[in-house]
Amino acid sequence: MNFPHLFENDFYAILPELYLTLSTLVLLLFGVFYSTSKKHQSPSMMQTVAWLGLFCLFCTFCLLQNLPFSSMTFFYATLIMDPLSFFFKTLVLLGSGFSLFISLQYFQAEDFKDFEYTLLLLFSTCSMLLLISASDFISMYLAIEMQSLCLYVLAASKRNSEFSTEAGLKYFLLGAFSSGILLFGCSILYGLTGLTGFQSFSKLFSGVGGSLAMETQSFLSVGVLFIAVGFLFKLTAAPFHFWAPDVYEGAPTSVTAFFSIAPKLAIMAVFLRLFLVGFYDFLFSWQSILIVSSLLSLFIGSFGAVSQTRVKRLLVYSSIGHMGYLLMGVASGTVEGVQSVLLYLCIYSVMTLNIFAIVLSLRDEQTGQNVKYIEDMSMLSKSHPLLAFSLTLTMFSMAGIPPLAGFCSKFYLFFAALSSSLYFLAVFGILSSMLSCFYYLRVIKTMYFDQSKQPFQNVKMDHEKSWVITLTTLFVVFFFLYPNVAFLWTQKV
Amino acid sequence: MQSLLSIILLFPALGGLVLLCVPNSQTRLIRILGLTISFITFVLSLLLWVFFDHSTAKFQFVNAVDWLPFLNMHFYIGIDGISLFFILLTTFLVPFCLLVGWDSVQKNVKEYFIAFLFLESFMLAVFCMLDLLLFYVFFESVLLPMFLIIGVWGSRERKIRAAYQFFLYTLIGSLFMLLAILLIYFQTGTTDLQVLFVSEFSLQRQLLLWFAFFASFAVKVPMIPVHIWLPEAHVEAPTSGSVILAGVLLKLGTYGFVRYSIPLFPEASVYFTPLIYTLSIIGVIYASLTTLRQIDLKKIIAYSSVAHMGFVTLGLFSLNIQGIEGALFLMLSHGFVASALFLCIGVLYDRTHTRLVKYYGGLVHVMPLFSVFFLIFTMGNLSLPGTSSFVGEFLILVGVFQTNPFVATFAATGMILGGAYSIWLYNRVVFGNLKPFFIDTFMDVNRREFFIFLPFVFCVLWMGFYPEVFLEPMHTSVANLVQHGQWRG
Repeated sequence: MNFPHLFENDFYAILPELYLTLSTLVLLLFGVFYSTSKKHQSPSMMQTVAWLGLFCLFCTFCLLQNLPFSSMTFFYATLIMDPLSFFFKTLVLLGSGFSLFISLQYFQAEDFKDFEYTLLLLFSTCSMLLLISASDFISMYLAIEMQSLCLYVLAASKRNSEFSTEAGLKYFLLGAFSSGILLFGCSILYGLTGLTGFQSFSKLFSGVGGSLAMETQSFLSVGVLFIAVGFLFKLTAAPFHFWAPDVYEGAPTSVTAFFSIAPKLAIMAVFLRLFLVGFYDFLFSWQSILIVSSLLSLFIGSFGAVSQTRVKRLLVYSSIGHMGYLLMGVASGTVEGVQSVLLYLCIYSVMTLNIFAIVLSLRDEQTGQNVKYIEDMSMLSKSHPLLAFSLTLTMFSMAGIPPLAGFCSKFYLFFAALSSSLYFLAVFGILSSMLSCFYYLRVIKTMYFDQSKQPFQNVKMDHEKSWVITLTTLFVVFFFLYPNVAFLWTQKV
Repeated sequence: MQSLLSIILLFPALGGLVLLCVPNSQTRLIRILGLTISFITFVLSLLLWVFFDHSTAKFQFVNAVDWLPFLNMHFYIGIDGISLFFILLTTFLVPFCLLVGWDSVQKNVKEYFIAFLFLESFMLAVFCMLDLLLFYVFFESVLLPMFLIIGVWGSRERKIRAAYQFFLYTLIGSLFMLLAILLIYFQTGTTDLQVLFVSEFSLQRQLLLWFAFFASFAVKVPMIPVHIWLPEAHVEAPTSGSVILAGVLLKLGTYGFVRYSIPLFPEASVYFTPLIYTLSIIGVIYASLTTLRQIDLKKIIAYSSVAHMGFVTLGLFSLNIQGIEGALFLMLSHGFVASALFLCIGVLYDRTHTRLVKYYGGLVHVMPLFSVFFLIFTMGNLSLPGTSSFVGEFLILVGVFQTNPFVATFAATGMILGGAYSIWLYNRVVFGNLKPFFIDTFMDVNRREFFIFLPFVFCVLWMGFYPEVFLEPMHTSVANLVQHGQWRG
């Protein structure tokens, strides 16, 4: 082995992450220096840093797109670069970029002065990028923890609000708990096999039918169970979703927007990699866990959302339901399954972005109140017809009504589920998507048909959000006409 | 000539997009533009009829665009004798829907026109799509504009409930169809209809698939246990919404039966014929009786639609040429008659803003022209010989009689009951003494309304006196369909 050249290519392969880390550090220095400088009367660096952060994300995106490697493993197989991670990295960068983009105005309106917000967002994005390409228990766990730490702080970033701090606390406790479970699962597996790399697991377990002793096998199953539970916690899937409504409700809206897009993508990526590469031969043991969780998520997602009155809580429950659909795709454990999950994630992120852009822009200029209850949206079709129309389309799309984008993703999921004979799950998914229509329709009903004493008025749209809303709406509407590109893209992955 | 169908399909939707760019304030321009677009679509679709080749059962004007090539799914469109007239019916009705909302729709004029134009495109796509999955997509997508049409421009407070019911009923049925379509796909590897026509399914699977399709179509038809949404939706919808609902949307279900259920699952269709017969007869008799005790004008017509659709399903599942042609003909005829009746009620409603029968009476004294039109359409509704419905119902009875005289006897009572409610309704509204205490200003039909009614009268009588023009293009396709079933069964 030629030592001087050992890491020659490895550093190229993590160039996006390296760049993002370094530029975040530079931004940190820049922000700290200027915000405490007497000479400039201690300016609020929020906007400047946020714009620069956006620029950094954009540069990272460009770097990522131009990486010369299509697939390789590096750093002694702790990290991996393949089309899957490329796909997810692209999505995560876009997701965090856009969620920062739509919240630019929010900072100003909320009088949010802590520029560290942007830095935390960049750091967590960076850790997500690492998490996506993690191919070893250790790198995976470290990346998850780094990301979670940033997210805990972000959730509690509005320090003078009770809700925000409470959300941060809850998120921290349950997040740490779930990380513990995950770590325990990893250590069981390590103890049994002496391995931590995903690929070595797949090598060890290939064709594992009866070759292992029963005892070992059951221990392994316990390890897999713990890992699965840890992940399900992080994904807010059903039996482990308790923290999600409170955290998402309490955290500032811009943070919620970020939470509901980027981390889910990253964790889903490593989840797919671990289970479909590392534990593929254990399909029988984790498939049932995922099926149960998927069923419960669908159930709780749709029934929980029906009785909600607050917008953000409604969105959380709907996202729990969507997790159920995603798990359905993972549980099918086939190529179509993975493909449908990717497609679903893509479309789901776009729709979520659209909804949060609208929710963020619904802020009364006079009272400075953001929209909180679903009731507040009544008469929106009168006061802001275009916004209402866009939200209507997205809600219909979330409910999976053709010919909108949401339908394509849902259809492909059912396709995958049926192709691996999960008939019961598919029927249940259909039923719950019907139920979910109730609450999506309720939002539409509120906007179009309800009368209220105080319609929401004086919404000032900024250019950033209006661009995002326009683009996402167009995507939702016209995706149907030419879905081939997306399908081919996910198939390649 | 090949691309004529695609042009017809896209024209309304593109027109809708153009309207989107016209500023809200110019309502007159929007109205004229919308009407022109829908009218041009109608003229184009007449060309389809002109160039239609009667001698073949093949799909004509076939055109394909890639959609998901690697899954073997394409935008594959084409028409045959069965779908030709539904396309014509759709393009015929939409301009009148726009015309009828000329004055009465005052809020969100632009959105109104756009919704209708998109709805038109979707409906046309349903009738000419030759890909099972895309058929489903458009079958469902009709929900979006219709939900908004009922909810936004509907007349009363209950409209929201009606829109909900409409939406959820239809969705519940049709989602199972989606699963069925996927199952079909997994067996055959394609959703191309023409390939599916020649592929075989085991009887067990046919029964399952047939039932899943039935769940969806029966809601749209509507068959009796799942018809509740229809009266609600009709009563609450604006006049034009009712016209489209009765004229075209009810045909989607029956069209689904004849296009998909019967040729794809011939054995299952034979197996389930008793079920259909029973439900249809209950539909005919129950809906006719229910009509007698309704007090809302629109509900009466809505229930009579349920009864007529019962006749249609009877005819379809008689599985012989007369029955199916009669059913298709009755679908067309009902598209004209029921739509025209809803237009009549719309005229009354626009003037007085009530639809309760007891407030009306003796209209013949003050609205003679209206009374004449109303009479013609009422006679059409009770299928008087000489009107279009008679031809349809007669053929259906002939068809059913061949397979099951017992059922035909029951079905024939529907004709008597139809006469009962139609004439009674007409009596209550038009004859007798005027009731000036409740409604005191009267105005006969104006010129716009007169010209709306005239084509309907023309069509109803034309179809009644010389049905061959409409039946001829169907012959080959229907014969092929029946042949297909016998060959398999």
